[in-house]
Amino acid sequence: MEPVDPEKYKKSLGKLETIFRSISDTASEVSSWRCPYKNVEDRCTAKFGCRNQNRRGKVTELFLCLGSDDLDYRSAWETGN
Amino acid sequence: MPVTNEVLESELGHVTNPSEQQHIRSLWDEADPLMQDISVSLIKGDNNRVDQLTKEALESGFTANTILDEGLIAGMAIVGVKFRDNLIFVPEVLVAARAMKAGMTHIEPILSASGIEPIGTVIMGTVKGDLHDIGKNLCIMMLRGAGFTVIDLGVDTSPEEFIEAVEDNEAGVLGMSALLTTTMPNMGRTIDAFEEVEMRDFVKIMVGGAPLSQEFADDMGADGYGKDAISCVDLAKAFMNPEAEHSVSSIA
Repeated sequence: MEPVDPEKYKKSLGKLETIFRSISDTASEVSSWRCPYKNVEDRCTAKFGCRNQNRRGKVTELFLCLGSDDLDYRSAWETGN
Repeated sequence: MPVTNEVLESELGHVTNPSEQQHIRSLWDEADPLMQDISVSLIKGDNNRVDQLTKEALESGFTANTILDEGLIAGMAIVGVKFRDNLIFVPEVLVAARAMKAGMTHIEPILSASGIEPIGTVIMGTVKGDLHDIGKNLCIMMLRGAGFTVIDLGVDTSPEEFIEAVEDNEAGVLGMSALLTTTMPNMGRTIDAFEEVEMRDFVKIMVGGAPLSQEFADDMGADGYGKDAISCVDLAKAFMNPEAEHSVSSIA
């Protein structure tokens, strides 16, 4: 296989860093008004309990998030193991 | 070659700023349809497909540089725009990052064979008693993107597990995350455990998480505090560059 061109690779890392810096900034901003564990379908991806999880759905699916995001979503997170 | 993949064309429709669309579209100007397929699979977060296509591309003679630029990074550019515009959220970004990692698994051996080694090895984990992982996972995505090897210990990590991982992987950097005020002290306990086994001088320790502060990090004896994912990368890079060490303790 053709070896990697180090200069091109360095440029690639630079491009990726630009994308990731923007993602980091967006993550900080979005997390101030929306739970970061809530996916685009408003389902909870957290591996811990949260009072906003609607546990009445199918067990094979991620719980639907009932949080309004109007309040600090962190207070709903359960802290025990 | 213009964009020929219909799904990719549809994804480009999410980039509404004309100059941005032109710039992102140009990433595929010379891209083979296979590279476009890799991008689409990454955007969709299909790690199995990215894994399979990257392997196929390398076997077909595409260079690692081409796959990285025209397949993986080009796809991640769309993910970044969709995230910025609230069309997707953190979980979808992390799924795309997992797909990127699947592709990188095939590229890393070629990097190594070309004499390009990782910047360093970082051990990452959420401390004992804490199950919150999203900030840690974002940090891991960015550290890998910056060229670090990252060993993810997951959540609820004991001091012994951190010590074992640092020792086994000869890692120069350890990152600990905590989201709860009740679990934050476990960071200090982990640092103490490194002191007890006389390994503290061999590893730089950075900490992060919503309830933390520079003051708390200093009090517990951490080497650095990162307020967000990108400052975690900046810290790890600074740890690898001892000349810059004097400015390491807070990168925010």
